[in-house]
Amino acid sequence: MLVLNDIIGSVNDEDIAEKLHHHGHHDRIEFIRMNVADTARSRQKVTTDKGTEYGIALSRDKRLYNGAVLLMDDQRAVVIRVNEEEWLRLSPVSTDAALELGYNAGNLHWRIRFDGPDLLVALEGPAQRYIDRLSGLIDAKRVTVIQP
Amino acid sequence: MNTSFDLNSLAGPARVGIGGPVGSGKTALIEKLIPAFQQRQIEIGIITNDLVTKEDAERLRKSGLIDPERVMAVEAGACPHTVIREDPTLNIEAAEQMTINFPDIELILIESGGDNLASTFSLDLVDQWMFVIDVAGGDDIPRKKGPGVLQSDLLMINKKDLAPYVGVDFDAMYSEAKNVRENRPVVAINSRSGEGVEQVVDYIVSNLLFNKAMS
Repeated sequence: MLVLNDIIGSVNDEDIAEKLHHHGHHDRIEFIRMNVADTARSRQKVTTDKGTEYGIALSRDKRLYNGAVLLMDDQRAVVIRVNEEEWLRLSPVSTDAALELGYNAGNLHWRIRFDGPDLLVALEGPAQRYIDRLSGLIDAKRVTVIQP
Repeated sequence: MNTSFDLNSLAGPARVGIGGPVGSGKTALIEKLIPAFQQRQIEIGIITNDLVTKEDAERLRKSGLIDPERVMAVEAGACPHTVIREDPTLNIEAAEQMTINFPDIELILIESGGDNLASTFSLDLVDQWMFVIDVAGGDDIPRKKGPGVLQSDLLMINKKDLAPYVGVDFDAMYSEAKNVRENRPVVAINSRSGEGVEQVVDYIVSNLLFNKAMS
């Protein structure tokens, strides 16, 4: 198993883009698909869309990102593709409900963002797992769930 | 690109977190992991986390299993998860110091202080993390779907031998754990007898110590 231990650049870098374009014509680009959370791992074993297994071992000051190129030679290119995140939209019906929802999201250490009056939770597992944790608020119709 | 197997100079040692409730057997597991890694010529270091003492570190230093200098202690001073998740700076510093002191180390095990089922590790601190639960804690632990049980890379169910004495159907508990984790890995262990420990070592070697996996 080949070990990849550097990010040589981005698919958007001019010189890399040109070589990738060439590899693309010959079906020689391998993509590693991963979730956002896994981009934080410095070291991991991965399998590309073509079934090749690689080890990744980066120095800890580097972080994987969408479009990071880990290998480029005459035979192939290996590129990171980060899966698009899904967000669970939760709409509180009142200020009281919003406060309680915010408390729960913080207490459960969910990764969230705000969109107007709604709270969006990054899904790192099935949506139902998150909904179950808020059953009191949802059953009482104090929070409405809008699934992705 | 450097494709040599000398990963340490580039990426430093692999880091694995071991979390789980108080008394689940984390330290006892480490006492079994130390000789198992030594047998495979894998150099390790250990960082323990305790609330306000160095109890676990002292236990390992006095065990005679490992050079005491290769065991470091972090005192959380607060809820144990704060120093492995919210702000892992103390543990990151300890891991970096361990790497400087012992450049030959290939793997650092970071043991969390005993915590609850919501405990998780930051991936800024570790590459993989594992969670230890035990049958004596109750066969309903997997059903409670705590983040430690659901999100850990490897779940270990310890004290399998005690199941008949605490009224636990081990096979049902194991199956439920696999189910809530959607078939992500679960290993049955007995950290006193050593049962299952080789599986844990195999998992770490295969997923993180690529040079050892190939040798």
